Amino acid sequence: MSEKDHSSADDPALVRAAQSGDMAAFEELVARHRDKIYGRAYSMMRNEEEAIDLSQEAWVKGWQRFKQFQGEASFGTWMTRIVINLCLDQLRKQKRQRTESIEAMDEESGGVERQMPVVTANPTAGLERAETRQRIDRALSQLSHEHRTVLVLHEFEEMEYKEIARTMGCSIGTVMSRLFYARRKMAVLLADMKKEGLR
Amino acid sequence: MMDHDEQLKIQAYLDGELSETEAREVAIWLAQDQDAGVLLAELRNTRQGLAGYEQPVQLPESREFFWSKIEREILRQESPQTAPQIVPWWIAWRRLLMPVGGTAALVLAALIAGGLLGGSGRPAMETAAADTGALTYRDDDGGNTLVWLSYPAENEFAESQPASTLQ
Repeated sequence: MSEKDHSSADDPALVRAAQSGDMAAFEELVARHRDKIYGRAYSMMRNEEEAIDLSQEAWVKGWQRFKQFQGEASFGTWMTRIVINLCLDQLRKQKRQRTESIEAMDEESGGVERQMPVVTANPTAGLERAETRQRIDRALSQLSHEHRTVLVLHEFEEMEYKEIARTMGCSIGTVMSRLFYARRKMAVLLADMKKEGLR
Repeated sequence: MMDHDEQLKIQAYLDGELSETEAREVAIWLAQDQDAGVLLAELRNTRQGLAGYEQPVQLPESREFFWSKIEREILRQESPQTAPQIVPWWIAWRRLLMPVGGTAALVLAALIAGGLLGGSGRPAMETAAADTGALTYRDDDGGNTLVWLSYPAENEFAESQPASTLQ
């Protein structure tokens, strides 16, 4: 199969070719999905260099584990799971290295968010799409890794509680707590941005 | 004021994670409790605000460059240096026995040198440590000892001295 053929082939055909050792087919898959895989790594790590390295590592792992891919999910979803797991491993390593601050522990238990008044107005209502995206991105970057990850997995990857718990290696109760505090904090951060925008 | 479990129940209701029976119960409660309804609205707004609004990002490297790094890493990891080699069993055994045989030879040599196998009655040839130019032959059984001295002496001291001093 020539390179021209690869660009017109669909994902399942490329996957089959790559599984039989065709690197050119794998390269085409990388080209198609590299932004999505990098984007997921970036959303979790919030660091360009780390996201590039982890997404590259994910592709290498993808090639090595290709035999395990049975097609029960789409290729993009399968690769996304690989990069998510690599990011979680990296975040765990970083967490072990840094000393937990009192603030971080308070955030983990949701001490601050529990006291916050409920935001009644929709903080993203009436905003342009690009503006909404920017604000959400800024607010996400202010969350802790744990809260951001659970939000990303639930809202963007559309995972259920059970799946998030399995992926993150924690209980469903922890997932629910983290998701709750992450959402509450996002609501407050977005409301603050709206107030700033009106000034 | 709601407790934490109640707050989480509202969220689970929003996310469709409750059983049908539980969801019905929470729906009735939400209709009656204003605070619960307000919290549900906030959680829903945040959820709807996020859905489909993830900032799209692009990998800041060209297709060719990014792929070249991946390809290089794949090939590096697949290279013979890192790939486990299949060794036939006889070679594996030979590899295992060679150091054992070597060690046995060394032990044997040490035993011979130490005179444990030869006994004290055999004649021995020695080189004096102080003078490498002197060679001694000793036969304990015969009670003879012969010493050869090379002349002129082939050692550092002799070479540094004029021949006349040795005569």
